[in-house]
Amino acid sequence: MSVLTIQGLRVAVGDREVVRGLDLTMRSGEVHVIMGPNGSGKSTLAHALAGHPGYHITGGTAEIDGVSLLDLSPTDRVRRGLFLALQQPIEVPGVRLADVLRAAGVESEGLDARIRAEAERVGLRPDLLSRFMNVDLSGGERKRAEVVQFALLRPAFALFDEVDSGLDVDALGAVARRLAASTQEWGCGVLVITHFSRLLHDLTPTVIHVVRAGQVVTTGGPELAAVLERGGYEPFGVPTSDA
Amino acid sequence: MVPFSESARDFVRAQPDAAGRLVALERFGAVGLPTASEEVWRYAPLDAFDLDRYALATAPATDLTTSLADALASVAATTIRLSDGFVLDSGRPVPGVDVSWLPAPTGPDLDPYLSDAFSLLNAAVTPGVTTITVRAGVEVPEPLVIACGASATASFPRVHVVLEPGARAVVIEAYEGGHESLVDVVGEYDIGAGSALTLVAYQRLDHSAWHIARTTARLDRDAHLNHAVVGLGARYDRSRNDAVMLGSGAENVLRTTFFGSGDQVHDFRTRQYHVAARTRSTLLSKGAVADAARSVYTGLIEIEHGARRTDARQTNHNLLLSPQAHADSVPNLEIRENDVVCAHASSVGPLDEIQLWYLESRGVERREAQRLMIRGFFLEMLDALPPAVAELLTADVDAALGALEVAR
Repeated sequence: MSVLTIQGLRVAVGDREVVRGLDLTMRSGEVHVIMGPNGSGKSTLAHALAGHPGYHITGGTAEIDGVSLLDLSPTDRVRRGLFLALQQPIEVPGVRLADVLRAAGVESEGLDARIRAEAERVGLRPDLLSRFMNVDLSGGERKRAEVVQFALLRPAFALFDEVDSGLDVDALGAVARRLAASTQEWGCGVLVITHFSRLLHDLTPTVIHVVRAGQVVTTGGPELAAVLERGGYEPFGVPTSDA
Repeated sequence: MVPFSESARDFVRAQPDAAGRLVALERFGAVGLPTASEEVWRYAPLDAFDLDRYALATAPATDLTTSLADALASVAATTIRLSDGFVLDSGRPVPGVDVSWLPAPTGPDLDPYLSDAFSLLNAAVTPGVTTITVRAGVEVPEPLVIACGASATASFPRVHVVLEPGARAVVIEAYEGGHESLVDVVGEYDIGAGSALTLVAYQRLDHSAWHIARTTARLDRDAHLNHAVVGLGARYDRSRNDAVMLGSGAENVLRTTFFGSGDQVHDFRTRQYHVAARTRSTLLSKGAVADAARSVYTGLIEIEHGARRTDARQTNHNLLLSPQAHADSVPNLEIRENDVVCAHASSVGPLDEIQLWYLESRGVERREAQRLMIRGFFLEMLDALPPAVAELLTADVDAALGALEVAR
């Protein structure tokens, strides 16, 4: 059993502070959902946790089992247990997935077969993954390629930034089921950022967090998704002060 | 040791085609070796170059077979083994393909080289022209390999590939060995109407070698040339690659990739020469220099009057992996026709930080991510080759890049 603890996290992009005192705690096997309007700091949170060079942490902590992630290199953050699936996966010409996974320390024996099997689980043509990373892949294919990476790296916690955008209904269901299965297979703690409750048909959330202006303004159970669907974010108000 | 010029004269006099060779040798004497004060040679460490330090190869060395040559042979239709430019093994017969051994060029065939010292020297003292002809309409899917080994001498390999109309072939030239050598190569490629050649020049000579190569491709109507030039070895690696679009609809894609470390210099020169209308050429040069290595890219797009609707492009990306490394990029345009599209782009800098971060965020250590990305330049080039060949050249690139250290 592991625990991911984020406390009072503040993140700036350039001079602008976008995440302004965010708290969140999740345990192995849980599914947490972050919902919030555009510009509320969701993607900034994701990138900052993964150590993207364009995002600067200006305060707060993020730990797995008491080990600070923020002092670690991007490599060590994922090795320590926090993986980010990007909203817009990056093209890396000349570099193939299997070589990346091997370099990341994934067991080499039978790797190609496991990549194929994971691709099939999310309805992705396996041969697309022998291309250079994300090169000549559609948006939806890239999203599913991220899920394949996730499944082979088997992190303790994983953050999915709008994994559902660009996916058709069938792919969406397959991805949601893959994420749900990971909570059983290796007790993964799954944190998804989404605008749509559709993803949650096949992925039952433990907790939903509503984020506005860089803070969690409400936390509740799965029923929150339906409330948001009907009434939008406005009724939840904006944070009254910086946390 | 006998001075090079003397041994060259003796060698030429002993050849059956001595008369033509002497013309080239005399012309070489008149032109003289270049000096670093000439613009096109300003990046060559010519001060440290002494032709008389080299013995002229007058016979093949016999022990030049390498594991790379053997590996290529295992996936090739045929493998011609050259040793210091001499044919050791002319390979096995391939239906529709003729391999022959012709005398050096003379008369008007010398004209393009009259001011180029190293090409003149090649014409004078090459052991002969290794000629591959793929007959009209013949398709050879497996590569035709020319494995060129070099010993500690001055050697002058010369290659001529002819694709008759409608032929398709893959030709791989691999250059290896050559500790303390000069390897002066001339290649000519005649690509007939509607034919398609995939050509790879893979150079991984010893880091003490001087490698001077000049290639000229002549493309007839609707001919295609997909040309890859890989530079891994040599102290000074100079590669001039010209493509002449003589027939309408001809298309040339040239990719050059290099990696330099220590005090290596990779000096790439290209000329995309459009004579006929509706012709296309694309040049992509991508390489990296570490330590105190340097790279030079000088590319000319030349479009003749009347070559309407030509589309010619150049892209050059240079990676600097240490503060002492240096890269120069010099694109040039000479356009004598209005109805054309031309574009060029170049960049010099470090590896893309966001791509690096992406690989790191998948669990790859930063240094390993850098190595994967640099290796990626080569893999991108090799991607167009038959998979078995791409795989073994990838393994060879890995071996060459094994010790890659990237300064922070």
